[in-house]
Amino acid sequence: MPRVAGVDIPNDKQLRIALTYIYGVGPHTAIQVCKEAGIDPLVRAKNLTEDEISRVASVIDRNYQVEGQLRRIVNANIARLRDIRCYRGMRHRRGLPVRGQRTRTNARTRKGPRKTVAGKKGVKELHRG
Amino acid sequence: MTRSAKKGPYVDEKLFRKVVLAKERNVNQPIRTWSRRCTIVPEFVGQKFEVHNGKQFVGLLVTEDMVGHKLGEFSPTRTFKGHGGSRK
Repeated sequence: MPRVAGVDIPNDKQLRIALTYIYGVGPHTAIQVCKEAGIDPLVRAKNLTEDEISRVASVIDRNYQVEGQLRRIVNANIARLRDIRCYRGMRHRRGLPVRGQRTRTNARTRKGPRKTVAGKKGVKELHRG
Repeated sequence: MTRSAKKGPYVDEKLFRKVVLAKERNVNQPIRTWSRRCTIVPEFVGQKFEVHNGKQFVGLLVTEDMVGHKLGEFSPTRTFKGHGGSRK
């Protein structure tokens, strides 16, 4: 299996899909990378030659921030918001949605598993349903 | 939805003048303001503000990191002290 951008080992899918297994490369970037490297995006990753792999790797290396590097940038941005104690930073600290979504219901991704509160209106219905 | 780049950032002009004046005269008194919608521009760095949250003025010392945010983001309008608890 080919290795691109450090630890990532995309499998035997088409190159345009395989590349999206890299953090920071989505469907769009994947196709851009194929174009820049001059490789057919529909080729299976396992059928790539050494040379093609290194071309893909170098294109990503040169033009995109991926994996650890990108993660660090994202975390730094969030840390910045936390430090300046602005509204968005507060929401990050509390683990609540940051972009003004409702929290009366939903928002489960941010809030985690439900914590049932006894006596709260609607609790019975929730458990029956 | 972000503001159109064509317009540039919204800065309360009166407030901006006050900041510039305060800088010139070297007064280090917080500026009281209700203009929560005003963007923080580089000129504000180091200036103290007191931003109204609908009830009180919340103190704020502007640092470089805050540029590009609005004053209101640093003056929470809601208080949440947690649910229930400690009834025994």
